[in-house]
Amino acid sequence: MTEDRGNKMIVHGLRITLALGLLLAPCIASAQQLDNGQIMSTLGQVKSAAPAVDVALLVEEANANVGKGVAALPNWSKLSELSQLIVEIDFENNSTAIEPKSYRTVGLIADALHHPDLFRYKFLIVGHSSSTGSAKHNLELSQKRADAINEALSTTFAVSPDRLFSVGAGEEWPIDPGHPESADNRRVQLINLGLLK
Amino acid sequence: MMRNRVSIFAAAAFAFLALTSLGRADTISYADAVTTLAKECEADIKKFCNGENLGNGRIQACLEKNASKVSPTCTSTLGSVMTSIAQRQQAQASVFKVCQHDISQYCNGVKGDGNILSCLVETKRVDNRACNQAITDAGWR
Repeated sequence: MTEDRGNKMIVHGLRITLALGLLLAPCIASAQQLDNGQIMSTLGQVKSAAPAVDVALLVEEANANVGKGVAALPNWSKLSELSQLIVEIDFENNSTAIEPKSYRTVGLIADALHHPDLFRYKFLIVGHSSSTGSAKHNLELSQKRADAINEALSTTFAVSPDRLFSVGAGEEWPIDPGHPESADNRRVQLINLGLLK
Repeated sequence: MMRNRVSIFAAAAFAFLALTSLGRADTISYADAVTTLAKECEADIKKFCNGENLGNGRIQACLEKNASKVSPTCTSTLGSVMTSIAQRQQAQASVFKVCQHDISQYCNGVKGDGNILSCLVETKRVDNRACNQAITDAGWR
């Protein structure tokens, strides 16, 4: 079976995690309802020394390393240093269609990105899958799903497309490496890429 | 004759009320708007729009295409949800224009949209109703 049979990118509830450099921030929240204030306070914190990330290089690296993991690759490893949160957005089985029950989460992201505090920033949407199905298929599907979130934000919710980037990580960066098949690994990362130039 | 006048008056009064309440109606967040859409239309989306996505107006187009089969509640919800998303977008786009005078008066020299907004919200002296209403409608309080 080559498909990612699950219809979720993450099943572990709505969680917010902070990048390592932000662990001391006052807004650490876990396993609770996502709300606008949390998105704002998490994504609004940007370190002046945050690394620049080239999204085209992320895609290149992921495609050249199918089945080998991305976390340690030169460009992917930079992502850990950026301000970010993890959200659950569910999709129809083996499809890029966002489940209606997840419309709210996309709407919450839209509300945050339309706030003046975040006007200046550009964002990266990273789609992750579990290891169910082939690695190549998972990479492709997660890229398309990340693109679908990007498209919904930039069309339905009119977030300026030049602020949005999307990339798939497939099964290459499990949040639970000991259990790559776990549904917890299906998730969406929303990462602040820094100032819009 | 009398009846006609009454009904014309009633219609005018109704139109006036509708217009003023529209003008004053609080806008809702994008999250709340699409939560309503999902709640009222999920069954129809599953039935008629399998595989269609939220982006690029495809769910809307699909529900409209199947209007004869879609539940009336979903159809009317779709209309009001799209309207409220548009109202919120319009409000957000208007704040810095509507508040221009207050910005130059009370927040002169403040840099950055987020800081300017904080200044406006915190400045008690901003007594411009239109500016205050615009910030509220934008959902930025």
